Amino acid sequence: MPSLFKPSLFKSAAYRISFVYSAAFALAILLLGLVLFWAMHLDFTRQLDGTLRDEVSTLLAESRSDGESELADAIAQREASTSRDRLLYAVFTPDGRRVLGSLRTGFPRLGLHDFTFTDPGEGPDAARGLAVDLADGKRLIVAADRERIEQIDRTIVSVFATAFLLVLLLGAAGALLLGGYLRRRLGAISGAAEAIVEGELGRRMPVSRRGDEFDRLARSLNAMLERIEGLVENVRQVSSDIAHDLRTPLARLRNRLEQALAGTDPASSGDVVADALHRVDDVLTLFAAILRIAEVESGEIRRTFAAVDVSALARELAESYAPAIADGGRRFQWSIAPDLLMLGDRELLAQAVINLLENAQRHTPEGSEIRLSVSGGAQELTLMVADDGPGVPDEDKDRIVQRFIRLDASRTTPGHGLGLNLVSAIARLHGGRLRFAGNFPGLRVILEFPRSDERGEPPFHPIGAGSREGRS
Amino acid sequence: MQILLAEDDTETAEFVARGLGELGHNVLRARDGADALHFATTENCDVIVLDRMLPAIDGLAILRRIRAAGVETPVLLLTALGRIEDRVEGLEAGADDYLVKPFAFSELAARINALGRRRPLNEAPTQIEAGPLRMDLLARQVWRNDTIVQLQPREFRLLEELMRNSDRVVTRTMLLERVWGFHFDPQTNIVETHISRLRAKLNRDGGADLIETLRGVGYRMRGNA
Repeated sequence: MPSLFKPSLFKSAAYRISFVYSAAFALAILLLGLVLFWAMHLDFTRQLDGTLRDEVSTLLAESRSDGESELADAIAQREASTSRDRLLYAVFTPDGRRVLGSLRTGFPRLGLHDFTFTDPGEGPDAARGLAVDLADGKRLIVAADRERIEQIDRTIVSVFATAFLLVLLLGAAGALLLGGYLRRRLGAISGAAEAIVEGELGRRMPVSRRGDEFDRLARSLNAMLERIEGLVENVRQVSSDIAHDLRTPLARLRNRLEQALAGTDPASSGDVVADALHRVDDVLTLFAAILRIAEVESGEIRRTFAAVDVSALARELAESYAPAIADGGRRFQWSIAPDLLMLGDRELLAQAVINLLENAQRHTPEGSEIRLSVSGGAQELTLMVADDGPGVPDEDKDRIVQRFIRLDASRTTPGHGLGLNLVSAIARLHGGRLRFAGNFPGLRVILEFPRSDERGEPPFHPIGAGSREGRS
Repeated sequence: MQILLAEDDTETAEFVARGLGELGHNVLRARDGADALHFATTENCDVIVLDRMLPAIDGLAILRRIRAAGVETPVLLLTALGRIEDRVEGLEAGADDYLVKPFAFSELAARINALGRRRPLNEAPTQIEAGPLRMDLLARQVWRNDTIVQLQPREFRLLEELMRNSDRVVTRTMLLERVWGFHFDPQTNIVETHISRLRAKLNRDGGADLIETLRGVGYRMRGNA
């Protein structure tokens, strides 16, 4: 256990909280003691006052019926008692002379009051007495030693002082134990965090089997780390993919320009420049696509979401694309349910449909049939582009959504392998998902969106965590 | 045309100014927001090309002040930000067109030409003519010489855009924006397909091809063929 006065002890929130807690508890005990002390003290004094009052009235009653000699006898008799509770008595003449009783004190004031008397054994002592005037002008005082009350007071004080000290000691010990425990649990977490900062990216927070708050915290931190590591890995993968994808067109461009400079290129310089322009445009297009995906994935576009008539949009696109698809030698059919609305971004939804239609044309042989359908239920809206081309093997269906993934079968077709990735990002932006199914023969590419609720708010999912696994 | 070019990046500004100069335009350059505001309100320009991010005064602020000062000169906003919100913001501030950097010079030149031509629209013609073509915007009808040409609605819009800018270059991007409402490049041949259909319909009865294709740039409607 570290020394109590190590500065770190006071900088620790765990220790501080424990100490403050036990100090507050001890203080509560102290307050309780004080209140109890005063309550008991007052109660005993009141009881004593009652006893004195009773005794005085008894004595007065006796002396009134039987005369002064009876009073003297009664006092003598009472003073002879050996009971610990016996009272003290005295009767004074108006000139201050004590004529009866053994209470040694000066001429008393009338009424209840505290005063000092001389105890034959102990010397000056505190007492509480009640003085009344008798019929013959003499003054009677009945008193009780305050010793009993003081004893009780002392007992209460010592009990509570002991309790206070015990609580303080136990509290401090408990605080040290609890603080040490908290520090140990938190230390394990911050230790892991520091290790991660040092570069041990695979390190995770320790999770015990207790399943308490710390374990829950550790588990959420671990989930976060998992996610971040995935993203970092993704970024690393994507940047190397981009670099790789760019090298090829840039290298070809360089070769072409080098040949033109050396005069070995048979084409005219104008053609070389036009070709170079074309290749540079291609690279710029790639960059634009990457930035576009990043923009969609950031989710910021949601702020400008508005109601989109998906049916009308799909019909417009179908009509716009019909000539292009027909020119490409493929048949095109569409079936679009009317008046399907959803909250979203019109242009991005259009882009998604365009990408799917382009893909269907690009990856099917001439003579294929391409079908666009839009349907909706109360809960969801489904956009589907189906073809009867060669389809995609089941094992590749998850892969084709990834960035820069191009199946071997389509190596020779143009494109950067970003189209479906963008479609998938657009689906997630709208809280929906992209999935693939067989069309027997061919492929069905299905976009499913949840319909917005009555208030017109789409059920937003964070674009990152979870949704990638196709949470619906 | 007299063009005010407010662009703080020297390389871009020089490249654009040289290009516009070669096309016969007179270019006035402003290097910061204060200059831009001064020229825009004192010089008589046909088109203002305004960078969104300028030193001293931000491009959007300049645009609002120019408009507040009652200057109606068409403004083309240049920006490095391609986000949808930014475009909407720019158009709301009073821009007439919007171009995201990096841009191809031919795209900029075509847009400047289109803007410079945009004359008072309050007369709102119901008929447009270009060469042998006549378009009735109310009846949604097109004639070549005196023969009716049957067009799909989208082809009609496409032809309208070309005829309104006859003898000027209209880029593929401009057509995507104005005919289809797409402010992104969908990487598709949709424009090409529609142009070729339109061309086929216009030329059905023979006669010269009226739509000129400028490779890598766009299309141009021959106004007096």
